[in-house]
Amino acid sequence: MLVSWKWLNDYLQLDVSEAEFCDRVTMAGLNYDGSESVGDDRQLDLEVTSNRPDWLGHVGIAREASVLFDLDLKIPPAEVKGAGQPISDYVTVTIEDEAFCPRYIARAIKGVKVGPSPEWLARRLETLGIAVINNVVDITNYVLMEIGQPLHAFDLAKIDGAGVTVRQARPGEKFMAIDHKTYDLEPTDYVIADEVGAVAIAGVMGGADSEVTEATTDLLIEAAQFAALPVRTTSRRLKLKSDSSYRFERGVDPEMIDWASRRCCELILDLAGGELAEGSIYAGSKPQPRKSVTLRLPQLKRILGIEVPPAEVERILSRLGNEIESVASQKITVIPPSWRRDIDREIDLVEEVARIHGYDKIPQDAAVKMSASHRSDADRVRSRIRTLMVAAGMNEAVTRSVVSQEWSAAFHGWSQAEALTVTIPMVRGEDCLRLSLIPSLLGARRMNEKFDNSPIELYEIAKVYLPRKDELPDERYVVSMTSGRDFRGLKGVIETLVHSLNPDVRVTASRFADSLLDVEQACELKVGGKTLGFLGLLSASAQKTFELQQPTTVAELDLRVLEELTVLIPQHHEFSTYPAMTRDLNLIVDETLTWDQLEATVTASAGPLLEKVEFREIFRDTKKDGPGKKRVLFTITLRAADRTLTGEEADAVRNAIVAACETQHAAKLLG
Amino acid sequence: MSLNDFIRELDTLVDSAVERFNEAVDKFDGDVLEAARVEFLGAKSGKLKSAQKGLGTVSKDDKPAAGKRFNEVKQRIEELFETAVAKLSESGGSGKSSEAFDVSLPGTMLQVGHVHPITETIEELKDIMGRLGFSAVEGPEIEDDWHNFEALNIPMEHPARDPLDNFYLNAAAKAAGGDMLLRSQTSTVQIRVMENTKPPVRIVSLGRVYRPDEIDATHYAMFHQIEGLMIDTDVTMADLKSVLHLFAKTYLGHDVEIRFRPSFFPFTEPSVEVDMRWNDTWLEFGGAGMVDPNVLRAVGYDPEEVTGFAFGLGVERLCMRRHGVNDIRHLYNNNVRFLSQF
Repeated sequence: MLVSWKWLNDYLQLDVSEAEFCDRVTMAGLNYDGSESVGDDRQLDLEVTSNRPDWLGHVGIAREASVLFDLDLKIPPAEVKGAGQPISDYVTVTIEDEAFCPRYIARAIKGVKVGPSPEWLARRLETLGIAVINNVVDITNYVLMEIGQPLHAFDLAKIDGAGVTVRQARPGEKFMAIDHKTYDLEPTDYVIADEVGAVAIAGVMGGADSEVTEATTDLLIEAAQFAALPVRTTSRRLKLKSDSSYRFERGVDPEMIDWASRRCCELILDLAGGELAEGSIYAGSKPQPRKSVTLRLPQLKRILGIEVPPAEVERILSRLGNEIESVASQKITVIPPSWRRDIDREIDLVEEVARIHGYDKIPQDAAVKMSASHRSDADRVRSRIRTLMVAAGMNEAVTRSVVSQEWSAAFHGWSQAEALTVTIPMVRGEDCLRLSLIPSLLGARRMNEKFDNSPIELYEIAKVYLPRKDELPDERYVVSMTSGRDFRGLKGVIETLVHSLNPDVRVTASRFADSLLDVEQACELKVGGKTLGFLGLLSASAQKTFELQQPTTVAELDLRVLEELTVLIPQHHEFSTYPAMTRDLNLIVDETLTWDQLEATVTASAGPLLEKVEFREIFRDTKKDGPGKKRVLFTITLRAADRTLTGEEADAVRNAIVAACETQHAAKLLG
Repeated sequence: MSLNDFIRELDTLVDSAVERFNEAVDKFDGDVLEAARVEFLGAKSGKLKSAQKGLGTVSKDDKPAAGKRFNEVKQRIEELFETAVAKLSESGGSGKSSEAFDVSLPGTMLQVGHVHPITETIEELKDIMGRLGFSAVEGPEIEDDWHNFEALNIPMEHPARDPLDNFYLNAAAKAAGGDMLLRSQTSTVQIRVMENTKPPVRIVSLGRVYRPDEIDATHYAMFHQIEGLMIDTDVTMADLKSVLHLFAKTYLGHDVEIRFRPSFFPFTEPSVEVDMRWNDTWLEFGGAGMVDPNVLRAVGYDPEEVTGFAFGLGVERLCMRRHGVNDIRHLYNNNVRFLSQF
């Protein structure tokens, strides 16, 4: 809300500096946002919260200031005298839907002389940055900025038929607004209409056909109350925002509508002449009587943590315009003012007292009770994952949860379902809740390649949103990564990660097919029968789709599986203090035998002395071994808990392994 | 040989030994050192051995003095040798003199990654709140109307519910009944916790939230919030201010002042904006207030029995201010040259 300093002083004598004023109103809830000089006046920018429409006019702000600085407030009485024929001779008002328009007050003035506004009026509006049009329009704007009640002046001669009706727009109804653009209306929009059609979009904007021009002599002055939601819906749909719609969306003071109408007519008669028709039309119903609210004084201490003296409570409430209905020893009952529709509960009064008494009176050194807090297991696991990923040279990324259709369809590791979509894209074309983080990370990778950044090693911990039938989606945390390492390089990162969370867990891999990944170098990873995730080299086609220059590997792991396998509190095991013994084995096996299979056989046949099996290399020598064969070189480490192993013992284990591999996999020991 | 001649011979011997051993050290050359050792300390034809022979030619009266001097020189030369050996082995310089060791060559650095500044900020905030007894909780990002609005005292006609101000899910997702949307605040988690927990409650809820903002230097359609909630039989605004004061002191690392400005949020009453005085200016910190009785009732608490406070902070704003990031888009572009700075 832009405020004129001089204008405020029309209603009370502010004998404080602008700075002090701004400071005090800020601390009362009218946040000061800056100010500047406009002509010989000062324009202050005060931020008004949505619960305080009464602050959307100078009178409301002056009223607040009168409480803060303990000053008398003078509001013009706006007494007008009608003459001549009664207004009912000129016009009728019909409200079709009182839920939308609870009340409508019409007055008529004949014989006005439309022309430029006097300088003082023009300057007031200019201070607030409002365009100066002509004296009649300017006066409606002036009163709007004075009391926060929107008003509209129609050229009465251009109202066809007996009068106006507040009704829903007809399907297909068109309307030309005062901005001379034509709008297509829908039945959710409300209009003010004459017999021919709409003359205004109710609460939003007047029509070009009935606007007041230099040629206008007779006026219909509208002051009404319209419901917030339809006004907002219409204004947003038509992208027509006005000072009026802004105020109707927040609610006007139902008991000041008539004052605003009289005030507007008073100024028109003063500045544009003319004769006010006798009386006014009041359509709709009277505002509901305001209900009383009781504040139990001990509630102040209970909520705020401080005592406020009862006399001070009474003073604050009454200065704010609350009518004191009764005062007892421990409670006070008031009727809130008409402009404070947001006060209808005890807690509202607590806030009013706190606000004016001052939040600075609330101490910041209260003894808050101690309480134990715990760090969740999920948090611990995530933090360990981050530590490991960072140690592995991976940078943490944060990407958007909503992606394009194309990215959404790029990888279907977790779910084959169509992604959920949102009604508004997050950025252009992105409306799918992602099923995988990998496409987003590949997007980040492309951007980094464009900048020649290297190395590009990224990971992200975030959710995927897997649709479920008739249920909220499965929001699942995953750890996703993209790397310039080769397949085994990234697999090593994952194995290191799993090993660091639980050294006893084995990750197994099986072939996995997805168009995002290379046919050969792609796998599903499992631990204990559960899917841990997916890993692979990006396929050539995907590399093209994502416009990537360098080969890329990607992986995505289910965080829940990682959480479940994590040993948060490792337990000590007795360990051998005797030396280890190693044996290298070089086996000729079929190409089709996987390392996982071979290792399982080795582990199973080695017995309790086996400490670890380490893969070394694969060779192929088709001349000597024949086609379809490979040589797998690996090392076993053996150790006993209670003695130093002898060479014979080690050889026996090796022989057992070789024998098992021979029978189970037709392996041959080389040299 | 006269005593003087003998001593002069010994002095010359020391001088040349110093020269030869230093040469070996300067060249980092074990071979040169070995040659020098043989030359002076050689058992058969070393110069010291020859000098010892000269001792026999000194007159009987001078012998004690000559012998003493000889021993000193012998000791000195042995020291020179040992020092040279030590110097060469210290620098690992037993190699060839042609391969000079450049100590100024860079070490082999490890390639380490970096935690995202948003994560780092969240972790720090959780850590501080944890020490104040608040446990961190999370909840779903896709929410229903009840948790995102109704239970938070945001009525149907409130502008916050406007379809254009929220990421509602398309019809297909409504199978579970009612509208669904990407949560616009993490207060939803507070509701879920309160629905399932009896007071006292002391939590921070955090995570991603979504609002359809045009993306620019200061706005992003996705951001992070952290919200604190404390409910008990006698929680007051003084507790709220005190907790925030402790929080600010810890986060900013020195004594700061806290200020409440009246504000409006549907789910708190009284509602305040919280400012922190830091380096002589007031910084907006976030919103706070006492949990509205309607919210307490909505989750099945009795506002006559318990009171509570809630506060919410935008993680991005804190993170950007702390690290001097001037464009929020940097946080989500994932340029590794940005990420590597933290």
